[in-house]
Parts: sequence; structure tokens; C-alpha cells
Amino acid sequence: MKTKTRSWIIRSAFVLVLVLLAVLMLRIGRGHTIYFDNRALEYQGATTAAPYKITVIVNGEQISKLYEKERCSVTNIGDKLELTVEVMQQKGGSETTSVYSLKVPHDLDGVIINLPGYMAGLPEEAYLEEFIPAPSTEKDDEAPPTTDDIGLGEV
Amino acid sequence: MKTKKNFNLGSLISANSVPILFVIICAVMIPLSGLPANYLLNEVVTRLGRNTFLILSLLIPIMAGMGLNFGMTLGAMAGEMALIMVADWQIWGIPGLVLATILSIPLSILLGLLCGSILNRAKGREMITSYFIAFFMNGVYQLIVLYMMGSIIPIMHSTLKLPRGYGIRNTVSLLQMRQSLDNALAVSINGVKIPFLTLIIIALACLFIVWFRRTKLGQDMRAVGQDMNVARDAGIDVDRTRLISIVMSTVFASFGMIIYLQNMGNFPTYQAHTNIGMFCIAALLVGGASVDKASIRNVFLGVILFHTMFIVAPAAGGKITGDSMIGEYFRVFMSYGVITVALVMYEAKKRKENRTMGQQLANEQKAEEEGKTA
Repeated sequence: MKTKTRSWIIRSAFVLVLVLLAVLMLRIGRGHTIYFDNRALEYQGATTAAPYKITVIVNGEQISKLYEKERCSVTNIGDKLELTVEVMQQKGGSETTSVYSLKVPHDLDGVIINLPGYMAGLPEEAYLEEFIPAPSTEKDDEAPPTTDDIGLGEV
Repeated sequence: MKTKKNFNLGSLISANSVPILFVIICAVMIPLSGLPANYLLNEVVTRLGRNTFLILSLLIPIMAGMGLNFGMTLGAMAGEMALIMVADWQIWGIPGLVLATILSIPLSILLGLLCGSILNRAKGREMITSYFIAFFMNGVYQLIVLYMMGSIIPIMHSTLKLPRGYGIRNTVSLLQMRQSLDNALAVSINGVKIPFLTLIIIALACLFIVWFRRTKLGQDMRAVGQDMNVARDAGIDVDRTRLISIVMSTVFASFGMIIYLQNMGNFPTYQAHTNIGMFCIAALLVGGASVDKASIRNVFLGVILFHTMFIVAPAAGGKITGDSMIGEYFRVFMSYGVITVALVMYEAKKRKENRTMGQQLANEQKAEEEGKTA
């Protein structure tokens, strides 16, 4: 009887550990596609101008050099990322480097971050928007496999 | 008391005839194919990481005397379903693989219980029964994936769904999980990429099997595998032991399928699992295993020989005949052929054993009668 109880406790603990591990993986493994924009942003009547060039470095890896009105993208596992930006305000000017810890909403697959707005310290609703892919124009040509396995064809 | 066995070259060759044949085939084909050694080695190591776990899943049912588990396809289906869910939830990288592994456990246990309980009702005909269970469950899999996913089971992303709004597309992309396990801790030696983490996981699975053989349950399985009636008389719950072996095999197969598919980076939703059992069984048999005996050594030898043949056959076929399709035909023919030969050899061996036992019994009876009359 004692062994049976112990066995059930071990099994329950094992299941609990698996459930906890699954929840942890759901939290830390959420993937996002993040698009960085270097565009002027209008918010509540005020305009935040776009600098001449922004070098985007995510988690230590250089992603792109963004000139005005350009966009780049990066995929990230997890909701947090370390964003380093090297900003050149005017052509031929000096670069200033800033490091940010960016948090992406967990539910969104793809987000667009307006870098000038983000660096200016505007609220999230101003610099962040969801990326919604354009609806697919492809035809319904991917028919499920409904072939005749027996090879009778149309009898 | 230990008896010293005499070394007999003939029996050694006959016991290892299949691996020897494949060594010869590979030895002839490798130079003919003209493939560089680095490329060949890279491919073999990749396939070793990709396939070994799946083939390991076949060892436990063989230990329990249930033969080659064609029902491992069920585990592969469980792994695929878990991967579809994880891909839809956008869980990427190693966390995605861990989550898929966890999700596949209840699914594969359920399928293993179903398969095991049917096989317990078909004792002595496990292989053909498991083969047809796989066909039957393929229909159930299609029903779930083609009609229930997206309509009853929520699927959020249109990239996974068929344009009609329900059902999964013909190909599921695992781009964000692709080789995440193989690339973690990978080392490159002379241009040959060694997927270290994958190999560590395979080594752990091997250690588990070695350990499991020594446990009470493992010993019970071996006893059941040797003789079910004797095991039952010894107080072993034969049906339960056989059921556990199939459940374990199915769970192992689902893990193996996840490892396999993360290496590929995408999978054909409705076909990925269909031939997986066949090729795994063929590889195990090429490694020198039989229907009633298999070891970890057979798994590794089988993967290396079978997949070396797979890599070099098209190129060698192309060089010999000018048509690489000949090589393709050859490797398919060899895969099915080796299974057929193994099954025939098993039946022949069983009949020979029965004949020898009958002969022995008759001789004993005759000697007894002669003794009485004397």
C-alpha cells in the first residue's frame, strides 16, 4: 500500500514537472518577427523626425543600417530583446549609441517598431503596431490528398 | 561453468550475412559514386543524428518478443501533431522542440495503449497486425489533421491552414525550429558538422535502454520475449508487460520523429510518417538484427550502412548506367528486400527449431520405449 502511494506521488510529481516545463517553454519560446522602421512619426499633433541613418543591432548582432523611410526585420525567440542603436542624425555627422531593453507583447506574432518614436520615449501605442500580413492572393490549389489509393480510379 | 566456444568462421558469416552484404555493396558503390569523403562523412553523421533515435524505438518491442513494431508510425503521427500545434503557437527553437516533445507524450501513450491492447489480442501475429494498425491510424490521422484541425481544434495561422479555412496544408514549415537541436553545441571537424547535442540525447537514450534491460520490468520483458507461457507461470503479467513495451516504443518513436523533422526543417503533413517504419526497420535489419534479437550495436551499424547506401546509390547508379534513377530503384528494392529476407529467415529459423525439437522429442520417446522393451 505504501509503495503504491509513493509510486502515485512520483508519477504525479513527474506529470506536474512536465506541465510546468511546458508552461515555461510557452513563455520563453514565443517567437516574434520584429520590423524596425526609420520613419517620421506623428503623435498627438507633434512630429518626431527620422534621423539620417540608424544602425540596428539586436542581441549583439548587427541587423541592418536603416536610412530614412527604410525598414528591416529580425526574428526573436522570447518577448525580450536587447536593442542597440547607433544613430547618425545628419549625413556625415557623429554617431551616438544607445542600448535599450525592448519588450514585445506576448500575443503578437509580428510587430512594427517605429525607431524614432521609440527612441524619443513615446508611449507604446505610438511607436508599436501589429504587423498584419497582406491577405494571400493564391488560388485554392492546395487540394488535400483525396487520391484513390487502391488504384481503381473511376470505376 | 563457462564453456569455451569454438571460433567458427562459417557461422560468423552466416550470422552476419546481411551487414556483410551491405559492407560489400557500400565498398563497391562508394568509389563508383565519386562522392568526396568529406561530403559522404557529413551526410552519414547528419543521418546518424536524424534517424538513430527513431530506430532505437524498435528495440523494446523486440525485447518483449513482439517483433518489429510497424506501429511505430503511430508515435511518428503523435510527434507530427505536436509539431503542428507548436508551429501554430509560434514557439520556436529548442523551447518549441521541448514543448512538442511534452505534447507528444500523452498522444503517443494513448496511441501506444490502443496499439498494445490490439496486439495483445493478436499474439503471434504482431507484425502484420501492427502494420495494419498503422494504416488504420493513418486514416484517423488524416481525419484529425484534414477536417478537425482548424474547425474543432483551433488553428490560428492561415499559413498552416488550407485556403478553405480548415485542415492543414500539405507541407508544414518548421523553419524556425530547423536544426535548432543539431546546431546547439555543434562542432565542425575538417568540415564535418557533428551535431553534439543530438548525439548526447541519442547516447542518453542508449543508456536508458541498457539500464532498462536490467530493471525488473526489463527482465520481465525479456522473459516474456523468450517464452510467454513460462513467463506467465512465473507470475509475470504478460499482457501488461507487452502493453508497456509498445507504449514505450510509441513514445520513443514520437521523440524520434521530432528529432527527425527538426533536422529536415519541414514535413509533408500527410506522407511524412507513412514510410518511416519501413525505413527504420530496414536499417535495423541491415545492422544485423533479426525479428527476435536486436541490440544498440545493430542500430548504429544499420544506420551507417543503410544510409551510406542511400547516399551513394543514386550517384553510383548514375555513373554505371547513366541514369541516377537506377540507383533510386536499387535502394528502394534493397529496403523492401532486406525486410522480406529477414521475415523469411525468421520463419525458416522458427520452423527449423520446431523440427529439431520434434525430432529430439521423438528420439527421446523412442529411447524410452526401447528401454522398456529391453
